[in-house]
Amino acid sequence: MTTKKITEKKKEPHEKNILVFKKEIEKLKQELNEKNDKLLRSYADLQNYQKRIEKELICKDEETRKKYILEIIDLYELLQKAYENSNPKDGIQAILQNIQHLLEIEQVTVIDSLGKSFDRFYHYAISTVEKNDYEDGKIVDEIKKGYMICNKILRPSQVVVVKNIIKKEGD
Amino acid sequence: MKKIVGIDLGTTNSEVAVMEAGKPVVIKSTEGNTYFPSVVAFTKDGEKLVGESAKRQAIVNPEGTVMRIKRKMGTKEKIRLHGKTYTPEQISAFILQKIKTDAEEYLGEKIDEAVITVPAYFDDDQRQATKTAGEIAGFKVRRIINEPTAAALAYGLDKKGEQKIAIFDLGGGTFDITLMEVGGGVFEVLSTNGDTHLGGSDMDQILVDYIAEDFKKKHGVDLHKDLKTLQRLIEAAENAKIELSSTLKTTINLPYITVVDNEPKHLEIEFTRALLERLINPIIEKTVRPCQQALKDAKLNPEDIDHVVLVGGPTRMQAVQKKVDEIFRKKAEHGVDPMECVAVGAAIQAGILSGEVDKDIVLLDVTPLTLSVETLGGVSTELIPRNTTIPTKKSKIFSTAADNQLSVEINILQGERPMAADNKSLGRFHLDGILPAPRGIPQIEVAFDIDVNGIINVSAKDLGTGKEQSIRITGSTKLSDDEINRMKKEAEAHAEDDRNRKEKVEVRNYADTMAHSVENTLKEIKDKISEDEKQNIENALKELKKALTGDDIDEIKKKTDELSEILQKVSTNLYQKAAQKAASSQTSGSTSEQADDSWSGHPSDEDKTINADFKVKDEENKKTDSKKKNDKT
Repeated sequence: MTTKKITEKKKEPHEKNILVFKKEIEKLKQELNEKNDKLLRSYADLQNYQKRIEKELICKDEETRKKYILEIIDLYELLQKAYENSNPKDGIQAILQNIQHLLEIEQVTVIDSLGKSFDRFYHYAISTVEKNDYEDGKIVDEIKKGYMICNKILRPSQVVVVKNIIKKEGD
Repeated sequence: MKKIVGIDLGTTNSEVAVMEAGKPVVIKSTEGNTYFPSVVAFTKDGEKLVGESAKRQAIVNPEGTVMRIKRKMGTKEKIRLHGKTYTPEQISAFILQKIKTDAEEYLGEKIDEAVITVPAYFDDDQRQATKTAGEIAGFKVRRIINEPTAAALAYGLDKKGEQKIAIFDLGGGTFDITLMEVGGGVFEVLSTNGDTHLGGSDMDQILVDYIAEDFKKKHGVDLHKDLKTLQRLIEAAENAKIELSSTLKTTINLPYITVVDNEPKHLEIEFTRALLERLINPIIEKTVRPCQQALKDAKLNPEDIDHVVLVGGPTRMQAVQKKVDEIFRKKAEHGVDPMECVAVGAAIQAGILSGEVDKDIVLLDVTPLTLSVETLGGVSTELIPRNTTIPTKKSKIFSTAADNQLSVEINILQGERPMAADNKSLGRFHLDGILPAPRGIPQIEVAFDIDVNGIINVSAKDLGTGKEQSIRITGSTKLSDDEINRMKKEAEAHAEDDRNRKEKVEVRNYADTMAHSVENTLKEIKDKISEDEKQNIENALKELKKALTGDDIDEIKKKTDELSEILQKVSTNLYQKAAQKAASSQTSGSTSEQADDSWSGHPSDEDKTINADFKVKDEENKKTDSKKKNDKT
């Protein structure tokens, strides 16, 4: 009797433990499944979000284009009128002012280049010339004007820079 | 998960890409470009410049600038810049460092691992040098892969079983052809060939020369001589080349190009695609021999090639594509930008290494076709659009369309057509026990939940009573590719017709909702308006109802507009009166209760009301339903 009791006593907690563990495993399995599902769902959400953003970007791009195309159309029509006019100078001046105004609104500014020292941030050197009466690195010609937009480079000005060959006798 | 970038370290330009949420994204430089000029310079003061800024000053500082270092990789050559010497590895490392910094800036996290690409013909020394360059730049170089392999990866060609692939890489200054075999995810180079001095810049030169020659004939002035003019010409030629990829004809128009005897001259020349192709043909023709040689070396016939991949800007030109078709007798792959596909492929390889391209995660399925429910008049109202990544859940709130409607039927549809009858019905069920209420009052939330295996759970819940019904649809989403394509094609073919039919239903639904709403409003405001006004409204309402019994959509539209106009006048009067009285702004002629989105289940049998149209308050599940009011687009 006593020995039996002892074995039963020993067995009981063991079986209990197994039950507890089994339950625990079940619980963890379920938790893992739920977490896995959540992970996949958030991943799918992210991918769907990406798709939406891509679509929105295209829409936005179209909107911007529309806005500028309309501005260009206005200018185009004005230029057409100027072209048909026998004395278009005043008209063209007004049109130029319009364009200038548009550029001002968009915070577009011209980069000053001529006579300045070459600065790779603002300028793109297209060619060099030798000019002994100029300092090395000075800009002597502007091939294409450069512009800034909201303090960022819209396009660097394309310039010709002085580069004098160092005279050996001086050294 | 640590990100690994993929870098295409090029001769003229380099690109970098990374996997984000399973998709390759090309990273922009801080200057805002998708490429980094492979140029390094040191100023006299010893300042190091890399990329765009080095390129801009190259001509002023030739002794301090180094370009095309890739051609020197693996050699013992030393590069002297302002008295200091550097190895090619060091110079390449400067480029890679700039890429690393900009990528970190872009991604907002530290990047210290990379996959870098090299030409297939690079030998061990050149590969080792590239790896060293990466390490000097602070990268752990996880792998050096061949550029053509990367290009093929960008098109997913590693997943198509055993294939033979030709990669035709025509860049700004070099041409490479590589034939490869892929099987079981392993790429093997069969042969390579090319021309180190052939590319897009030769084409531009030919165009510029042609235009200048033409101008000289007409005006006797050589435009080559003036730098300003030449620069304008180069830009115009480049633009014309790009434009002629999509159009057959363009005009190059350069006003005030030069001055002859105080007289301004304008350049105007018409360019056709045929002319362009004739001019650049000698250059394109030069790609043929290397291709043939590569085929011969690999002991292959053009027919043996399964896929052709194009790399490099000039391959965007139709003339180049035509030539490639001719050489390999098949159309090249399309869809990935040929300028970016090497970096994209490198990023995909990097993603595989980092675990980002995890089978379980990235290969998440998408819904092949749109899932919707049937709404009033047999319209399909979209809940989950085509191409949505699953698992996902979306819900919308609908409402009843008939007074005292007790039940609604949810008919779940799959397909792109706007009318329910043209789509495939996946299943249907009823939600009963809706409390008797005026139309538009009950709120019924319909939710679609698709799990990772494509099993759809559709539930409908009466938010008033909490009653819920649901259905589980298995297998129906697993359509064969043929079936999906057929359904998509049908949708395209019927697009116009379908739109008209849907519009008709919408006009009718709108009219019906309006008539109903006006009837209610009239009861409320009849004491506040004049007898005349009341009579007018009633007459217009009667006519609209009469029109609704018929099939003339134009008539229904017209009567709706008439009623709406009368009501607007009445309500304006009413508001004015109210304002005069400075009384509360109660009452309204809000006839336009038309919802953006009207769903109606068919009423169940016990409910003899004819139509169950429901106004929808497009309330959405914040997390998942992000496409608000998408239905109308």
